[in-house]
Amino acid sequence: MEKIISVKEWSLAIRLNHWAMACSIFILIVTGFYIATPFTIGQGETVDKFFMGHVRFVHLLFGVILVFLFIWRIYLALFSRFHADWKDFLAFTNIKNFIHQIKFYLLVTKEGPQYKTLYGPLQSLAYLGLLFMVFVICVTGLILMGAGYDAGFSSVAYTILRPVETLLGGLAMVRTIHHIFTWFFILFIVVHIYMAFWYDFVLKKGTVSSMISGNIFKKVKE
Amino acid sequence: MAKGMNSEYKKMIDKQYRDLMKHCQSHMEQVEKELPEPRENLHELLEKRGVSRRDFVKWTSAMTVALMLPPIFKPLVAKAAENFSRLPVVWLHFAECTGCSEAFLRASYPNVDDILLETISLEYHETLMAASGDQAEACLEKAIHDFEGKFICVIEGALPRGLNGQYLRIGPKGKTGIEIAKEVTSKAGAVICIGSCSAFGNIQSANPNPTDSVSISKALGISTVNIAGCPPNAVNFTGTLLHYLMFGGLPALDGLGRPIWAYGKRIHDYCERRPHYDASEFVEEWGDAGALKGWCLYKVGCKGPYTYANCGKVRFNDGISWPIMAGHGCIGCTEPDFWDTMAPLEKPLPDKSLGFTDATADKVGIALTAATAAGIAVHAAASVIRHRNDDRVNKPEDLQEEKHD
Ligand code: HEM
Ligand code: HEM
Ligand code: SF4
Repeated sequence: MEKIISVKEWSLAIRLNHWAMACSIFILIVTGFYIATPFTIGQGETVDKFFMGHVRFVHLLFGVILVFLFIWRIYLALFSRFHADWKDFLAFTNIKNFIHQIKFYLLVTKEGPQYKTLYGPLQSLAYLGLLFMVFVICVTGLILMGAGYDAGFSSVAYTILRPVETLLGGLAMVRTIHHIFTWFFILFIVVHIYMAFWYDFVLKKGTVSSMISGNIFKKVKE
Repeated sequence: MAKGMNSEYKKMIDKQYRDLMKHCQSHMEQVEKELPEPRENLHELLEKRGVSRRDFVKWTSAMTVALMLPPIFKPLVAKAAENFSRLPVVWLHFAECTGCSEAFLRASYPNVDDILLETISLEYHETLMAASGDQAEACLEKAIHDFEGKFICVIEGALPRGLNGQYLRIGPKGKTGIEIAKEVTSKAGAVICIGSCSAFGNIQSANPNPTDSVSISKALGISTVNIAGCPPNAVNFTGTLLHYLMFGGLPALDGLGRPIWAYGKRIHDYCERRPHYDASEFVEEWGDAGALKGWCLYKVGCKGPYTYANCGKVRFNDGISWPIMAGHGCIGCTEPDFWDTMAPLEKPLPDKSLGFTDATADKVGIALTAATAAGIAVHAAASVIRHRNDDRVNKPEDLQEEKHD
């Protein structure tokens, strides 16, 4: 007889981190696009208005939050007591599984490959790529921020990162990269959310709710 | 406690400035001993040009502040200005339009900076000198020989590297720009690049760069002081030379070789239109109501947010105006490769083409997102069909869920 049990897949820290990141990224995309292509507010006196100022404040606030969430996520990957999953990010190195997984996604096979890691081979690559994207957008964002605020945290970050700006050839290039990566995030999120629901539908393990409750369903033989 | 710390700190700063002052004074004495007498008497010249003593004192204060020195340095700045024409300068022209020289020397209402530049002891300047041909060549050789290690090499223009540098041949012997530059810079006390051509390559090196033009520092592999701008402000050049005269060394530079005292802050952070930016008041097109009210020029392509320069502070033509004040956005001319990185100059950066036709990041992004959504729809439909009969053995909830779909 088979029985379905609920096992813990994600620690509270990972879940908090995930949803904080998700919210921050969502807010950053919206405010970022306003900064890139603002609309004019024509009514009223200049002194009474500060819309761009507020939008930039929100963007920078959540930007800095994202920087620390990223650092926290790296910490969890390396030192989490529940499950330090840095090795799981390397699941894509298993070529056989990798090809099998692609077949599964392309609906060629009905069953996915067996793996003991937390992520599947394609997942590991996707999340690694995503963490890389967060890294790039944080670095370029900190440069853009440091160019305008020469004090405290942003000043320290800018002192460290200014050579990167020089290497890239100036702030305009940095801003262009920041903007292009915004689109990478949008593309990622669309696929990411679809795949979460797809897993739910195909594997019926409760993937979507697992990122909230932390538990995932497993079938076990009695 | 805090008070004690403060006075301690003040003492330390005072001592630093006193030491700096001493260093500066002894250096000036050395300059007066070693270098030839000033060619021109600055004060006579100023009087002739209608600049009063009072104007000169005002200029001294402004320059002292611009160089980020405390007021006690004012007399030394004045002295350095008097000694300005002692400094031997060799001024080279390569691939460029000579616009920087023009901008400095043809001001219709010259201020002290412009007059100072007139007094400069030009041992060699292709545009201005009387000598030509072999005679000119001899002047250059003499200057390099007489003032080896002491003269300042000022360079205007980029160096084309294509065809072994043959796109640019100068003088009676037809030497290439690269040959001349190597010869002169190796003997110079300091190399100062005037304008974005020599500093970063500018329009000659813009895509597709058929002559393979590059900046002096890239062509020769040396580090240079870069007075960037197209053209740069005379103040940024005179200030740097004054600093060299006063302290015997170059001012602090940023990672791109630009003096920090002049290029340490962004246009955007000193812009008089900035309150309109923060208030979301933008000029939408040339000549609209916003333009009349002096609103922010971001949407008509201002690149102030990406550009380090002091244009808004020192302005041009004796402080009369500067581009953003005149109603056009900043084009970012003090930044490397600005013809490529800042294009299109009259539209904001998100309208930048990604290289193929007029596809911007946003257009490509929207197309890719739509394609992904379409792909997802197809995949979802296929998945429902493919996994229709999966594992509904003993989980009635699953069955029900499927019915809802
Ligand atoms: C239906 C909702 C979602 C589910 C079930 C879900 C599930 C997951 C899972 C299982 C992971 C891997 C776990 C991990 O490595 O932490 C993950 C990673 C990630 N997700 Fe989501 N996600 C959802 C929505 C979103 C949204 C809306 C965003 C962004 C706006 C997002 C951003 C991220 C990021 C940035 C990562 C990678 C960072 C990391 O590894 O911690 N997710 N998601
Ligand atoms: C997923 C994360 C992020 C997204 C989607 C995002 C998006 C954007 C976009 C679209 C722009 C406008 C770029 C343009 O004009 O072309 C922008 C600007 C900017 N972003 Fe981000 N950003 C993110 C993260 C960050 C982070 C982590 C920081 C810093 C800590 C940051 C700081 C900035 C700054 C300083 C600007 C320029 C604002 C200005 O100069 O007024 N961003 N961002
Ligand atoms: S005009 Fe240009 S520099 Fe001035 S506030 Fe607007 S964007 Fe910034």
